[in-house]
Amino acid sequence: MAAPARDLPAVATTRDAPPRRGPRDVPRFLLLCLLALLFLAPMYWMITTSIKPETDVISTPTQWFPARPTLENYREVLTSPDGNILRWMWNSFFVATVYTVLHVALCALTAYPLARMRFPGRDAIFWFILGSLMIPGVITLIPSYLMMIRFDWINSFHSLIWPGLAGAFGVFLLRQFFMGLPKELEEAARLDGANSLQVLWHVILPLSIPSLVTLAVFAFMGSWNNFIWPTFVITDLDKLTLPVGVNTFSQRYVTEYGKLMASTAIASIPVLIAYLLAQRYLIAGLSTTGMKE
Amino acid sequence: MSLSLPRENVPPRRRRSFENSGLTPYLYLLPFMLLFLVFVVYPVGYGFWVSLHRWDLLAETRPFVGLEYYRNLFDFSTPQAQFFWNSMRNTGFFTILSVPLLVAVSLGLALLLYRPIFGRSFFRAVFFLPGILTVSVMGILWRWMFDNQIGLVNAVRTDLLGLQPLPFLSSEGLAWIPVVVGTLWWTIGFNMTLYLAALGNISQSLYEAAEIDGATAWPKFRFITWPLLGPVTLFVFVTTVLASFQLFGQTLVITNGGPNRTTQSAIQYITEEAFTNNQFSSAAAMSFMFGLAMLIFTVLQFRIMARDAREGT
Repeated sequence: MAAPARDLPAVATTRDAPPRRGPRDVPRFLLLCLLALLFLAPMYWMITTSIKPETDVISTPTQWFPARPTLENYREVLTSPDGNILRWMWNSFFVATVYTVLHVALCALTAYPLARMRFPGRDAIFWFILGSLMIPGVITLIPSYLMMIRFDWINSFHSLIWPGLAGAFGVFLLRQFFMGLPKELEEAARLDGANSLQVLWHVILPLSIPSLVTLAVFAFMGSWNNFIWPTFVITDLDKLTLPVGVNTFSQRYVTEYGKLMASTAIASIPVLIAYLLAQRYLIAGLSTTGMKE
Repeated sequence: MSLSLPRENVPPRRRRSFENSGLTPYLYLLPFMLLFLVFVVYPVGYGFWVSLHRWDLLAETRPFVGLEYYRNLFDFSTPQAQFFWNSMRNTGFFTILSVPLLVAVSLGLALLLYRPIFGRSFFRAVFFLPGILTVSVMGILWRWMFDNQIGLVNAVRTDLLGLQPLPFLSSEGLAWIPVVVGTLWWTIGFNMTLYLAALGNISQSLYEAAEIDGATAWPKFRFITWPLLGPVTLFVFVTTVLASFQLFGQTLVITNGGPNRTTQSAIQYITEEAFTNNQFSSAAAMSFMFGLAMLIFTVLQFRIMARDAREGT
């Protein structure tokens, strides 16, 4: 647990804070330990419950530590006829990856002219797109669902990818970043005979990798964690995404908490791995959002 | 990074003529605008159209009924109106209950953590990690934590403290506790990270100057830290309120809106009306009412933000 956190404090640098480690820090440290204990308690309860046989889960007095550890719950959840958790994981991964690639590409293509070209109607188009941020998502839920019926996209990954692609936030984020890039680089490339697409590909995008990655991380997380929409447009057991699939387990094994905890533990693993890989961008992206103004 | 391009790939004359035609920017915008019009702009209008008609998935005709479905929302003899406003009240209650806690606790954690301390990165990771779990995992986890008989909370109450177990999930009023505690545990890390970044940007010299004047911890917080954190606090506040309005997964998984609809959120009731009762027009009208309430609130907040920003400078 300590290793993955190594890069975390890089954002909030306290370089000019004098290191104060004296007796005053002991209560602060103890308080932090207590809070960490409270924060980790659900995780501990999840893992220990998941390796208890079902009779030990409900035994009284409470078994604080599993007396007869077993992987039976994991085996049952992974081979359940009521849905394949690994399949759901793959579905989520596939949908989130396709969505992320398309979304970042689309936002980059859109932000580029809005940030770096002059043409009639540019500002009007930008404010029109940005204005959609004010529309609460709930308003489009019902009509979008009816559209999915008409498109015959119920139980199709199309319904998980296309409707959310044209997001104003991504365009806004990339436009702000593109606008900050120096004009000279673009002009140099133009003198070399590059057309606008080549300028975008060879000049703008390589310089914008941090903001592209930030947007990609947000897009992937958003798609991976999406719960409301897939709950209604996907009902086919084989096509569920992970959050929705895990929730069907929750309705099926209402009282079998050993199996439920095994399934939540399995569902947490890819997220943990992703966190370890992306934490730098995740935290950096999070910290720069909204820091202006 | 090399900026010079392979010239042989660029046929100059034809490219020039097209680039000069003035159509280029619009071509770049075309794919986005198509998707934007089909999946963002059109659904808003279509949803309003649905709410003005009696929309039935199977029926051939969809007669125009005007504002009937909106009027029905104020006819409190109908269960729809009662359940809808009940769910709106629940969502508002959850927001009022959770937002101050979410802001205050995340600020508290950030204050505890921004100065160096042994194990700081570990603590930050511990507080941040729950936020990466999906809502269903978080919900199942907290349903189990607060299980009426044998959840960890009740196990601690009975086995360690010698108290009676409380039926958290099945008593009105108490059922909010698992929802709020779970949400707190789940989302506090994000807000804490925002605060940590902002705290790191406060110049240390301000505190040194205050110390020379003999300021102790509280005045330093009150007159330096808190005002300088103003913009972040507003940002955290606005985003947290908007997220709280979207309450859906937590109550769906932890309490399933119960007991007796006391924790049913607005979105949950709207989706119940649409997908369980097949009342799409009624649900569309409800989402417009709900969306309008959110919009008004957002506009108000932005006006307050703008005013504070003016006063701040």
